[in-house]
Amino acid sequence: MSGATQTGAPAFGGEFFARYGIFLFLALLIAGGGLISPSFVSSGNINNMLVQLAPLGIVVIGQAFVIISRGLDLSVASVMATAAVMTSLYTSDNSSAPLIVASALAMALGTGLVNGLLVTKRNVSPFLATLATAIMLQGIRFWMTSGAPSGNIPPLFKQIGAGNLGGVPISLVIFLVIAVVFWVVLHRSAYGRALYIVGGNPIAGRLVGLSSDRVIIIAYVISSTLAATAGLILAGFAGVVDNFVGRGFELDSIVAAVIGGVALSGGRGGIAGAVVGAAILIAIFNLVLLIGAPVQFQIIIKGAVIVLAAAFYIKKSKS
Amino acid sequence: MLALTGIEKSFPGVKALSNVDFEVRAGEVHALVGENGAGKSTLTKIIGGAYTPDGGTITYDGTARRWNDPAAAKAAGIHIIYQEFVLFPHLSVAENIFKGYEKKTAFGLIDHRATRRAAQEVIARLGVRIDVDERAGVLSVADQQMVEIAKALIHDVKLLILDEPTAVLSEPEVELLFDLVRTLRAEGVGVIYISHRLDEIFELCDRVTVLKDGQHVATRPIGETDHDELVSLMVGREIENYFPPNAEAVDMAVPPVLHLRNISVPDRVRNVTLSVQPGEILGLAGLIGAGRTELAHAAFGVLDHDGGEVFVHGQKVDPVSPGAMIKAGVGYVTEDRKGQGLFMNLDVARNVTGASLGEFVSGWMISGRQEIKAAKTEIDNFAIRCRGPLGDVDKLSGGNQQKIIFGRWTRACHAALVLDEPTRGVDVGAKAEIYKIMRNLANEGIGILMISSELQEVVGMSDRVAVMREGRLSGLLEGPDITEENIMHLAAQTDREAA
Repeated sequence: MSGATQTGAPAFGGEFFARYGIFLFLALLIAGGGLISPSFVSSGNINNMLVQLAPLGIVVIGQAFVIISRGLDLSVASVMATAAVMTSLYTSDNSSAPLIVASALAMALGTGLVNGLLVTKRNVSPFLATLATAIMLQGIRFWMTSGAPSGNIPPLFKQIGAGNLGGVPISLVIFLVIAVVFWVVLHRSAYGRALYIVGGNPIAGRLVGLSSDRVIIIAYVISSTLAATAGLILAGFAGVVDNFVGRGFELDSIVAAVIGGVALSGGRGGIAGAVVGAAILIAIFNLVLLIGAPVQFQIIIKGAVIVLAAAFYIKKSKS
Repeated sequence: MLALTGIEKSFPGVKALSNVDFEVRAGEVHALVGENGAGKSTLTKIIGGAYTPDGGTITYDGTARRWNDPAAAKAAGIHIIYQEFVLFPHLSVAENIFKGYEKKTAFGLIDHRATRRAAQEVIARLGVRIDVDERAGVLSVADQQMVEIAKALIHDVKLLILDEPTAVLSEPEVELLFDLVRTLRAEGVGVIYISHRLDEIFELCDRVTVLKDGQHVATRPIGETDHDELVSLMVGREIENYFPPNAEAVDMAVPPVLHLRNISVPDRVRNVTLSVQPGEILGLAGLIGAGRTELAHAAFGVLDHDGGEVFVHGQKVDPVSPGAMIKAGVGYVTEDRKGQGLFMNLDVARNVTGASLGEFVSGWMISGRQEIKAAKTEIDNFAIRCRGPLGDVDKLSGGNQQKIIFGRWTRACHAALVLDEPTRGVDVGAKAEIYKIMRNLANEGIGILMISSELQEVVGMSDRVAVMREGRLSGLLEGPDITEENIMHLAAQTDREAA
């Protein structure tokens, strides 16, 4: 897979397991889930999970770019919500769709730029910089909507968010296209290579002539833009918007990336792992509900999975 | 005082030591030499209690011992100064020296005043001037090493192990260290001295033991061996032409490939003008802190410089940045290979292509196949011993890592190379290979500016030698004038002597 070509070929069992263990885990989870609850693997439920995977998957791809650059993007949830409320800001027919998309993308571009500039030019820690922009966006959102969003979402967004194309959810198609495009960007383009070099060793990156600031800023812009896209899709899926669409996505996307092998220390991991990490989270949430466990269990299990993943990768990096 | 017999130690897949005998007498400086991977560090770690041997016996002070942890070895008077320091950068020198052994007041609290005073005493014993209130992190590397030694000296040291202690020291600091070691020897302390620098071993040590591939090869009194014999014992073969022959004649008439004019860096470099001719190796010597690395950084655009201009092939590079210098054909091989050179997260191929990515990009996609092909070429060119283009770089030996860096820069740059300590942390065999590579590059017409703190290397490799002192160029040596004495004179003379 992608990670293999970027970080060296596997040599023996341990390394192989470290690299592909995550895929194995997802397979075991699905098989085990199917045994516990046959409805888990029913086509309806799988369809349901894939629709849920789309927005988180889109966000986690951007999050992976930022984490590989040695950063962290806590503003993705706020960007999602802001993009979502924009869908009901103008007229409720499709004529406002281009305007909505343009405003959401402009907002995302601005947020990503501010995040990236703060982190690179002012040396603000990514945690603080993106937390601050998240809070500012929240304020702007409340101000735009006077506290509670009203108005209707143009039907086009509902079709995209909840519709099907020959039985396949449209949101899933968008997600898959985005995943392929950004897989190519990360693993095959000159920009992707620069990101791995700068994230792994910024000084060495500078010495081979890379502009680390530009590379990092672009990563934040990608993250915000993908988050805004996910926000639009989620708004369309729900059909109504509130000020907190995408709540929890900032942490879920980080958790998914880490489970998928994207190292918080930068320079390691890839798109495939991050997306599988997101799929594992979605599958676990779903399974907890299916077996009738209280919803609080989702949170406990999520915590446990983070601990397991962290322990797994630390052990592998030591061996 | 210490005798090891038949020591065995294996790690998964590797036999690190097999049937090694080793002995140190009280009041003796015993050199331990061998190529990287010969088993020197494994042996010292066994002596220091960090590893338990699989077999063999350790006799210390007349009784058989079996260490199981470093603390026990320390309590018995065995102290190791490692290559990498373990100081706490934000604590003061005094606090670092007494970390874990703080002087206590009657109430059991740390007695800062007594700790300070005791620290001053031990620093004075070392014969150095270090402010014990200074934070350890801001000290020079040499002073940090002295603090490391001070940490050992507050205990009753019976056996001191120094692992490559002079790798980061300049000449006067080395002398200071040697004086200290001689004092300890006179006090009856046994010293194990590990170094790649053979001239130091002849100057300081009483006996020398050679390890190769985890086996004991020979132990000789220092008077009964010589440089050539040690080298051949270490590599197991005669290295002919350790230093390849110099350039026949440097053509001074043609324009220089790299010309630095009036480069200044605040507080570090003052008005240095230098030219590197095509096909020559220009050595840049000087003490640590003379401003050589800063000069290179300024010339490469990593460090902002106050003033001055950089020309490549007569063309002014403006503004100077790493990207612009690479484009002009100049590469910089850093002295900190692991920290600033290699991409540890990427494989051999991506490390090799890192400075010449443009070559592999069509549109905006990189051709992985072309990269692997290029890496294979460099692996063959430089005889890099690795698992292949897709292998990791972090576990390779220093010599192979350095050759990867050479592969990277020779792909990218065809005018000049600035090499900062090109053989630091590289074993004897790989050193000879790197020297050969450097000379071949020069013979192809590349100009090389070689910063080096190893006088032998400067003398052996350079066609001309520039010497820096306190940020200034203090002299330029050519031909028969290139001697260690002349270089040291230019590097260390005080202003009073000069006047």
